[in-house]
Amino acid sequence: MNEHVQRPPAEIRYADELARLRDADTDARPPGWALSLRAARRFVLGDEKLGISRKFVGDPSLIDRSLVTLATNRGLMLVGEPGTAKSLLSELLAAAVSGTSTLTIQGGAATTEDQIKYSWNYALLVAEGPSTRSLVAAPLLRGMAEGKVVRFEEITRCPLEVQDCLLSPLSDRVLAIPELTGPEAMVFAREGFTVIATANTRDRGVNEMSAALKRRFNFETVFPIADFDTELMLVEAEARALLQRSGVGAPPRRDVLEVLVTTFRELREGQTARGDATDRLSGVMSTAEAVSVAHAVGLRGWFLRGEPGDAADLVSCLAGTAAKDNPEDLAKLRRYLEQKRPGDQWKAVHEARHLLPG
Amino acid sequence: MAVTFLGVRHHSPACARLVADTIRSVRPAYVLVEGPADMNHRMDELFLGHELPIAVYTGYRDPQRRHGSWTPLCDYSPEWTALTTGREVGAELRFIDLPAWHPALAEVRNRYADAEARYGEVTGRLCRAFSVDNVDALWDHLFEIEPADGLAERLAAYFDLVRGDTRAGSDDMAREAYMAQWIRAAAADAGDRPVVVVTGGFHRPALMRLAEQGDRSLPEVPRPPADAVAASYLVPYSFRRLDAFDGYQSGMPSPGYYQHVWESGPADAARRLTEAVTARLRERRRPVSTADLIAARATADGLALLRGHPLPARVDVLDGLASALVGEAIEVPLPWATRGTLRAGTHPVIVEMIAALSGDQVGRLHHATRLPPLVHAVLPVLGGPGEERLDLGTEAGRERSRFLHRLRVLRIPGVVRTSGPRLADGAELAERWTLTDSDDRLPALIDAGGYGVDPQEAAAGALAERIPGAGLDQLADILFDTALCGIGELTGRVLDDLARAVGAASDLGSLGRTLTVALAMWRHDDLFRTGGSTTLGTVVATATRRALWLAEGVRGGPAPADLQRIGALVAVRDALRHAGPSLGLDTQAALGVADRVAVRQDAPPDLRGASLGLGWSLRGTAAADPARAVRGAFVPASAGDWLAGLFALAREEVLHTGGMLELLDELVGEMTDHDFLVALPALRQAFGFFPPRERHLIATRLVERRAGSASAWDLMRLDAAPELVAAGRALDERVEAALRREGLITP
Repeated sequence: MNEHVQRPPAEIRYADELARLRDADTDARPPGWALSLRAARRFVLGDEKLGISRKFVGDPSLIDRSLVTLATNRGLMLVGEPGTAKSLLSELLAAAVSGTSTLTIQGGAATTEDQIKYSWNYALLVAEGPSTRSLVAAPLLRGMAEGKVVRFEEITRCPLEVQDCLLSPLSDRVLAIPELTGPEAMVFAREGFTVIATANTRDRGVNEMSAALKRRFNFETVFPIADFDTELMLVEAEARALLQRSGVGAPPRRDVLEVLVTTFRELREGQTARGDATDRLSGVMSTAEAVSVAHAVGLRGWFLRGEPGDAADLVSCLAGTAAKDNPEDLAKLRRYLEQKRPGDQWKAVHEARHLLPG
Repeated sequence: MAVTFLGVRHHSPACARLVADTIRSVRPAYVLVEGPADMNHRMDELFLGHELPIAVYTGYRDPQRRHGSWTPLCDYSPEWTALTTGREVGAELRFIDLPAWHPALAEVRNRYADAEARYGEVTGRLCRAFSVDNVDALWDHLFEIEPADGLAERLAAYFDLVRGDTRAGSDDMAREAYMAQWIRAAAADAGDRPVVVVTGGFHRPALMRLAEQGDRSLPEVPRPPADAVAASYLVPYSFRRLDAFDGYQSGMPSPGYYQHVWESGPADAARRLTEAVTARLRERRRPVSTADLIAARATADGLALLRGHPLPARVDVLDGLASALVGEAIEVPLPWATRGTLRAGTHPVIVEMIAALSGDQVGRLHHATRLPPLVHAVLPVLGGPGEERLDLGTEAGRERSRFLHRLRVLRIPGVVRTSGPRLADGAELAERWTLTDSDDRLPALIDAGGYGVDPQEAAAGALAERIPGAGLDQLADILFDTALCGIGELTGRVLDDLARAVGAASDLGSLGRTLTVALAMWRHDDLFRTGGSTTLGTVVATATRRALWLAEGVRGGPAPADLQRIGALVAVRDALRHAGPSLGLDTQAALGVADRVAVRQDAPPDLRGASLGLGWSLRGTAAADPARAVRGAFVPASAGDWLAGLFALAREEVLHTGGMLELLDELVGEMTDHDFLVALPALRQAFGFFPPRERHLIATRLVERRAGSASAWDLMRLDAAPELVAAGRALDERVEAALRREGLITP
């Protein structure tokens, strides 16, 4: 399956690592879990001795708290800016805790209860009436029946009343199927069932969660990478891999990447490294976005001139990716680039600032 | 000879306990402690029976350098337990480090800060290996929360690893060489009897090596140079100040929590921390339900289990509370995950948690303690109660005024100024003060003694403490206080703080006010002698840059002219003109901003006009065709506000550029009556920027152009009441409209 799939789920991508962790795992496991908490933590944060790769760059304590939350009777709510690897983290946690990360509900304006709980095979429903055979279980029902982690992506993009169908599964741990009779009308959650939801702080106010639902979750905010060097390393590694896949022969230049990552960090924080206030862009200035700019810079340089991307390429790419179609952001970006700073690449960026459109 | 080297982390309860136990079991002849050697002959002062925390403050001053630093001691400081148990077992007690004024400690404000910062690479690796967020969590994980057996070996292994092969800096080497000589001398003197050495863990490997061989004579206690003043004395200290060091000077955080760990162990400290947080939150009417507390406790226990702690450690409890009590996204990362001081935007629940950790214990000195020099410097000259009138024109008056201002800044009770120069107008040359007696004066002076040896140094310290996080208006006050107190220059970190605070300003108007005041004081001030000062230069440069930055970001449609905003651009122009070259301000960049704002459609009209004026007045006669620019930018609907901006900045240029007045006359003349009436108040305001003489000049030229022979005075004088004129014009208009309607006149 691995060869033809664009992106296999975490439990398949890291099947070896999970197996190794399972074999070496001697600690007690919470009921219904595939790994102990410590093994699950090693899966996410890496362990050189066992040959487990580090998959999430961030505070280890975030992982600790998330895992402990999953072992209690509250759901885990991962919130943060777009592009802070919330979904990746939720996938990794689900894969570590229950061995599967595919019980996923993608939230959206058109998400209905059917897609969360269950729906029917209508041909069978008409032929036989409601029965377990004609019932089509959706991720929540399956997660409860099998004792697995259910992932709910972008929960705040769903209408409130749809979100609230999580209330009784999370508090009473039971899901009623009124169409069925007898013991099958109630599905009780088995040990191991819990919910990891993700929500975007940019969506705040679109569909504010109800207080009742909030109480059933522990909130964990995922932040952009705090450390400059770590972020630079990550952007460099990812951009290099992307460029290789795109057939670019030259690796990205480190000095250009340094300018890129600094720009992204400062426009994201609204503060320069020295502490001066600058403007915050309303667009998304995530590490993922920085990687895609670095990729675009590399592509421009290579396919237009046959060399690594330089500062001028960076300025041209910033306009399209960082400022998107927002004239306010473009103006802020221009103001940011107007500043003079020491350093060859900063000078080159300053000279190329007229490449911004408009 | 048997020397026991105990490498400790300052302010660590686990280390304090280890030190006490070791000294009790070894019963050494000498206990040598990392601390200021010049305090050795005054060791008894420490044991008078103070309530901790206290600190040894050392102030130093020579013609080149001023320095103040603290050696803080609390109940659970290993250094303190070394002294007290050493005394208990009858050992000789010695501080063996260089005095705090010594050049090797010139960068040190807190002697008992962590040295980890210098070994960041190794500690970072350790944190990753143990999967913890930072050094503090790592420390708790390895030492505070673990049982005490084998602690000494673990500490030694840790510090050996962290120090590794890293070469110490020259400052550290000087200190270590000095400490080693004390150790050799004490060991030689002790003979067969044991010696215990308590120092920061990072020094331990070096000291063990250095103590092997070398001079065994007793080292001299260094004396300050002849032209310098150095004084050390005890001052009361507080947990809040202990927790307030930032950056490289910070030591172990959360003194309140560790006090409880010291008194009753980690389990009890965790319980009391939860209690304190709950009490604080409920006091502020934030609901904390029993279910929340159960969840917090369960999470903390779960985290302790996961992280392999026998009991919940500091971060376990905090993480548990944060998980259970913070039910929404937070703006800035949890402070215990990042280290450093609290950042703006920290969630209120988290702020309360940090306050509970920090604790509010305040130390008290025993009444028999030698008073800090500040008390002796102030009391004899302060004088009795009564009114005082000071003439600031005389040197004696200024001297006395500075002295009293320093006391005012230090919040010494009974010193109140009733009148005198204020920030808005510094022209007043007399000051009135009212002095009253107060019982609180002596305690306040003793407290203030922790800021410095004399009023000037102490006031400088107190003012510097007010800068981080201050708003613009507070900053202006602080700068003015600095001038009133005759503090002279702020330097180093304080100057950086100041620049950062100015650079974070978000309101153009108030920034302009600050810039105006700072520029005036920088350019010419004889009274306070602030002319050309570096401090003010920094403010001027930073504020100019920031004002241009803010000006470019202002958006908005037509709105009444904002005089403060215009004033900010005037201040920018003056700064560029008068301070540009000497402060290295970038005039080209400013012109770029001005040109862009002047033509931007979505900027408010007053700002557009002011920007045009800024560019015009900075370029002077070199400006390219201002008439064309004016014609292009003139919009009848917002003409008045636009002109207000232009006139405020480029009044003289408008007046003395040929054809400009005629052009304006033409443009205003072309306005419809309606537009003109709408614009009239704003136009009046705009022409108000011209002084009377220039207004007369304008009138003369207009009359020449329009009516030939009439007198200019006729334009300036209006005999009828404005209401009457307006009513007349309205009548005219109605008649005209009626005539037009009936077809009697054609438009």
